[in-house]
Amino acid sequence: MVRYETLVLTVPEITGDEVKHIEKEFVGLIEKNKGALISFDRWGKYRLAYPVKKNEYGVYFLVRFETEEASALPKEVADLCKVKLNSIVMRDMTSRLADNASLVYQRPPSLEDAPTRDVRTFLRENKMEGLLSTVDAEKKSARAESQTPGDEDVDVQEDIDEVDESQVASDEE
Amino acid sequence: MTKKIKLKISSRLSKKRFRRQSQSGKKHCRFCSSPELEQKIDYKNAAFLKGFLTERGKILPSRISGNSCLHQRSLSKEIKKARSMALLPYTTQHF
Repeated sequence: MVRYETLVLTVPEITGDEVKHIEKEFVGLIEKNKGALISFDRWGKYRLAYPVKKNEYGVYFLVRFETEEASALPKEVADLCKVKLNSIVMRDMTSRLADNASLVYQRPPSLEDAPTRDVRTFLRENKMEGLLSTVDAEKKSARAESQTPGDEDVDVQEDIDEVDESQVASDEE
Repeated sequence: MTKKIKLKISSRLSKKRFRRQSQSGKKHCRFCSSPELEQKIDYKNAAFLKGFLTERGKILPSRISGNSCLHQRSLSKEIKKARSMALLPYTTQHF
């Protein structure tokens, strides 16, 4: 038996039903070719290194299966991703695992693992307590108007600033 | 005319001589000595592979990282795999 793994990159707005559909298709195809499914992992949502099909984000799945030597299964899996699941799957890659390789692997941290940060924690960490009152005032005004989504905009901007700073710091090192 | 005239050394040779005198020992491959680190060379482990890219996303030459030929080949192969799956960038954004 030879082990294979397929990394599947899907669109970010994938629903639970579509995930079940993908898994069902994979299980059906593997059973048809007399293979066995080892694992079906959902990595979570990621920010992609470059936009794929005009999407900045994507959801990764890692499917591992084993089958007989010289089976047509790996090719059929690629065909499944490219034809039948074309609307959901953006990229796919099947690779053969080494015979003695362990099934443990490391993956990059996903956006879902990272704790959500708001403006207040950012200001406290960077010793800008003086600005905390302005955030409260903004929230109050936002509540009063109940339509301007000012908080979210501020949040995103702050996050971007922080990332830039850290990048600069690492570059200097 | 009995005095020997010293031949001029090329700048490349003088640089080489300087390098030999200044550095203590050769650069060594970090993967050759530890099999645990060698297992980390995997296209899924994008955070680790990112350390072998330049700021603009090019693969770092072994001249700088000190990798052996074998490991540099396997490393660049995995980086290229990760690039095709959008885990690593081909290049940073164009301005």
